[in-house]
Amino acid sequence: MTEFLVTWLAGTPSYAMPLLLASLGLILSERAGVLNLSAEGIMAVGAMTAAVTTLLMGHPWLGLLAGAGAGIALSAVFGLAVVVFRVDQILAGLATVAIGIGITGVIGRPYVHQTVTGIDPVQLPVLSAIPVIGPVLFHQDPLFYLAVVLALMASWMLARTRFGLRWRAVGEDPAAADIAGVDVQVTQLLAVLASGALCGLAGGYLSVVSSQVWVEGMVAGRGWIAIGLVIFVRWSPVRAIFGALLFGGASALTPRLLATGANVPVYLMMMLPYLLTIAVLAIPAMFKLGRGPEPENLGTVYLRQDRR
Amino acid sequence: MKPYVSRRRATALGLAALSLAVTGMAVGSPASAFTLKGKPKIAFIYAAAINDGGWDESIDAARKKTAAALGLPIATSESIPEDATALRAAIDLYVKHGYNIIVGTSYGYSDALLKAAKDYPDVAFLGASGTTNASNLESFYPRTYQGWYLAGMAAGAVTKTNKLGMLGGYPVGVVNWDLNAFIRGAQAINPKAQVIGIYTNSWWDPVQEGKVAEAMLDQNADVIATDLSAASAPNAAEKRGAFAVGYQIDMKSYAPNGMLTSVVFKWENYLTPTIKAIIDGSWKPDPYGAFVSIKTHTVDLTPISDKVPPEVQAKIAAARAQIEAGTLTPFDGPVLKQDGSVAVAAGAKMTDDQLWSMDYFVQGAIGKMPAPQK
Repeated sequence: MTEFLVTWLAGTPSYAMPLLLASLGLILSERAGVLNLSAEGIMAVGAMTAAVTTLLMGHPWLGLLAGAGAGIALSAVFGLAVVVFRVDQILAGLATVAIGIGITGVIGRPYVHQTVTGIDPVQLPVLSAIPVIGPVLFHQDPLFYLAVVLALMASWMLARTRFGLRWRAVGEDPAAADIAGVDVQVTQLLAVLASGALCGLAGGYLSVVSSQVWVEGMVAGRGWIAIGLVIFVRWSPVRAIFGALLFGGASALTPRLLATGANVPVYLMMMLPYLLTIAVLAIPAMFKLGRGPEPENLGTVYLRQDRR
Repeated sequence: MKPYVSRRRATALGLAALSLAVTGMAVGSPASAFTLKGKPKIAFIYAAAINDGGWDESIDAARKKTAAALGLPIATSESIPEDATALRAAIDLYVKHGYNIIVGTSYGYSDALLKAAKDYPDVAFLGASGTTNASNLESFYPRTYQGWYLAGMAAGAVTKTNKLGMLGGYPVGVVNWDLNAFIRGAQAINPKAQVIGIYTNSWWDPVQEGKVAEAMLDQNADVIATDLSAASAPNAAEKRGAFAVGYQIDMKSYAPNGMLTSVVFKWENYLTPTIKAIIDGSWKPDPYGAFVSIKTHTVDLTPISDKVPPEVQAKIAAARAQIEAGTLTPFDGPVLKQDGSVAVAAGAKMTDDQLWSMDYFVQGAIGKMPAPQK
């Protein structure tokens, strides 16, 4: 039993990681008011670019960097559309998903199913030898620690710095931010590019670290789960760590229970993240709790001339 | 390079499989062999890009070998959608240019191929994983479960924990019989062997495949077999020093130490002799489709690892000979379902209809089969 728990908990971060990175990116974008539905497509491009770069250059870290870069490149297209040309954010996001998935099919095809050099978990000396806690907390992919640090940094940045205050102001009330001298478009563009980098990295994690192979369509809906996660954690980077671990833990549990021969309602488990997200959406509405930290201006295009 | 059965194809395969017999009978069995008029001109039509890294690519690899064996060029069209009008336009164009042997490579082509076969009685048609047959049309698919039975024997011999694991995509007939045959093969050598069977509910999720393999390894499985196409499950086994069994292509490179064998497709072993027969006038398409045995090597095993003891290797070779001779099938009665009920009574043999509609695990499986995909 203990062994089951330890292996399950130790296996959870690798499920949670891509969700955490992607949702962190989406939170950054949405806190600046840009509703970002493009995660699935950007992760697809990140996964493909990271795998192909690693195959060609032989360096998984270089691959991850390239994955993040490709995420930035595709999100620049999205950012151009929604921030500069003020296209509807929902439509532009969905179009970006289609573009991302389409591009990977065209470019990645010659590299499909080729084994990629991966990144092995790091064993922190001494600490990883502690029973139970050791394998769970101190024997993980280096990116896991990086993602947690990034989430904490993002939280600090948004809450405690002037830069973060401006960032949030753009998401809450762009007109007020504009009057205060904040460049709304530059801030939103920055937010979109940051989300692209993180979603691209999340995709790269899937291909280079998790599976060490690239296949078309391998993101397999994780981008949509990340979008649900953003709502589930109410746009908080710190809560995203725990939310991602919860979602990841649930997905890690299913195959492990199945492997013991237990009768698991598989399809119900696959629905769980979405059910939880709907619940989190419904509860504040039901009890009239207000929007909470949901950015006031999320999803609407800001035009200076329409300012009241 | 690395073949897989696409979701659309395999799901549909399981579904429409029963109609094989029905359609075949409706069209009627040919009284005489098909005669080709004029010089043979061969064309292959693919539903996706030829270099799709999967199904189409595996058939195209066979096409090249067949072309070389016949000494004839073979034309190809790729990305022809699985709707009747698009396929028909391609077929019409080929026929107009004098092509008289046309191979459709997708399940979704079945109905349009049948219609074209009726409209062009002088053209020979072949359909990979198709469901329709006529006097000038034959569908073909290999009996993959025969290969998996033999692979199961190898796995049953090397396990120390008596626990094996096997991954499948969706619970459809063509996948279920692979898992069940693997279980029965393992138990033929090692009656204590049990197999954890888990479906990933995707053909496309290498991340999940690796994680599922890890979950099996954590439950002390020491052989991981995959009915899917990604490297991640064999990789996970190799990292833990466990054994692996591959599928569709030789997966030795995914687990150089632990790979016991791979159950592989070699389509040319059906295509070359069949097209030869069409050319020399001896072709008689099977009214039920060509559901070909391992005897034809259309499904085959890669050389078995020397980690499998020689006496077991001899048993596997003997079992293969018996399967090829038809004296042994992996589902000879008694076959008990996981819940203990009888699937095939003692002394009886499983029929092809029973195979295609297999929606249960046999005894020896750990895990529950999800509701069948419709």
